[in-house]
Amino acid sequence: MAEGGLVLNHLERGMAALGNEEVDRLPAYPIACGINRKLLNGGNGVTYAEWCRDPKLFAESFIAGHKYFDFDFAIGLMDLSVLAGDLGANVRMDDENTPFVDKHIIHSPEDYEKLEVPDIKKGRTNVLVEGTKIFSEKLAGEVITAGFLEGPLLALTQTAGAERVFMDMFTDPSVVHKGMETMVEFDRQMVEAFGETGCNGLVWDYLWANYSCLGDSEYHEFEGQSKYAGMLNKLTTDSGMAFCVHNCSDLPHMDTQVTEFKPVIFSMAYYPLIPGSPTAGEVIDQGYADNCLLAGNIDPQMFIRATPEKISKVTEDLCQEVKTSLCKRGLNSRYCISSGCEVPPDIATKMENIKAVVDVTKENGKVDC
Amino acid sequence: MSKDEILNGLSEGVVLGKPDQAKSYAQRAIDEKVSPLDAINDGLVKGMSVVGDRYAAREVYLPQVLMSANTMYAGLDMLLPMIPTEDLADKKKVVIGVVEGDVHDIGKNIVKTMMTAGGLEVKDLGKDVPITTFIDTAESIKTNVVAMSTLMTPTMDGMKDVIDGLVESGYRSKAKVVIGGPPTSPDFAEEIGADHRDANAQDSVAWLKEALF
Repeated sequence: MAEGGLVLNHLERGMAALGNEEVDRLPAYPIACGINRKLLNGGNGVTYAEWCRDPKLFAESFIAGHKYFDFDFAIGLMDLSVLAGDLGANVRMDDENTPFVDKHIIHSPEDYEKLEVPDIKKGRTNVLVEGTKIFSEKLAGEVITAGFLEGPLLALTQTAGAERVFMDMFTDPSVVHKGMETMVEFDRQMVEAFGETGCNGLVWDYLWANYSCLGDSEYHEFEGQSKYAGMLNKLTTDSGMAFCVHNCSDLPHMDTQVTEFKPVIFSMAYYPLIPGSPTAGEVIDQGYADNCLLAGNIDPQMFIRATPEKISKVTEDLCQEVKTSLCKRGLNSRYCISSGCEVPPDIATKMENIKAVVDVTKENGKVDC
Repeated sequence: MSKDEILNGLSEGVVLGKPDQAKSYAQRAIDEKVSPLDAINDGLVKGMSVVGDRYAAREVYLPQVLMSANTMYAGLDMLLPMIPTEDLADKKKVVIGVVEGDVHDIGKNIVKTMMTAGGLEVKDLGKDVPITTFIDTAESIKTNVVAMSTLMTPTMDGMKDVIDGLVESGYRSKAKVVIGGPPTSPDFAEEIGADHRDANAQDSVAWLKEALF
């Protein structure tokens, strides 16, 4: 905790960091979402399957997580099979782990044209929207709240299978565009629904802007262009929500997704084993935090496998790296100490490690240039 | 048509991701009695190596790599049956798969392609592969390598279960075990008793060739 001087509440800290104003300390938000379900039911928890199908449980977990961990944000991420599942793909749902699509529904070029936007008042999309509405109303005035939505290309690859979509980009791009049109319409309806929830922002998962997968031209053609992401990004803002992006890939397209898209928050990961994967210090040094609150980048595996002492040291080092680069760049804040991707909603995740990240940031997050 | 023209046609087909071209030149290789091993190594594999290098240099991306891999396999399907069995006797074998509970297999498929291009005989078990299938297959085909991949955190422990099973069966000492996938790390590989974990397919194959030959 900062000694004397400025003391901010969560909302004030978040807003100050967004505006590059002086903060009492850097904000902290390990992306703890599904794991918060362990706090429900008197601490006995509920299963993942129960949590992701009930808007009240979904919402209560974020409220409980905020109270227990003292987070500076609340972002309603569920998982990446929500849209594909509601489109008809089979989702394997274990009680205690992240569900995933195990049977895709695109088996031929013609199948792209058969995709239809489902009724977003039903299924897990409805849980996502209604749950976000409940926790956004409950936490209004306390923290910055946001919904979370799969981008159209991610939703399409989850529905069709990434390998299929990537090969069709090469051999038959028109069918991929057909699929994208449906996904963009699906997302458009979701944005409008999120816009009615009262959440402060909407976080887009634009995973495929990743140089391990797509180059600039492919990404632009199949998601980044104005009629796809461009339209959805603008609609997000026009619907009264702050436009944010999460991209946990190893080599994100920073120039497209930060410089060109202009999100107010960009959440990212770091892969030390991948040459060129950018560190927190590097992205600040390169100017990407000049107009955008960056968030990252603790390895999500550490929440399961590290000791509290180890993850505390990693957090302390990250705070120091970020503060050094912010000062060098002449910035006051604009970085949130976070996980590079979602804290695994695995039953084995250590709650004390999540708490350690927040507590260490409180102790070490004061930017004093 | 000369042998060089056939080999170039095969290589170019792979580089450009044109399965029909690869099949056409594979048929010419067969008709002209070009050694199938030469057609594979100096044609298809040479092309795939070019693509692998370009991918590593970020000059091409996954759509092109996947199409090139598809093209290489189209040619291999025709040429492999032409190789006399005795010529394959010394080939090093790999059993590869995504561990049980996970169906994300793009990374595994890229590694498999590079292993094949690297001269290894790859038995692909696919995705969501039960522990016992890894162990039973390793023993039955007398593999030199067991390669496992996962994208997801909860399924990482399945890799350890496979290794434990190989130890129990007595086969662990007869095969190298390599792992891959975003949540894994060299530390995790060491923790579970794997021999190696690399950041990309090219480097992993280079390590294996060093270790096996």
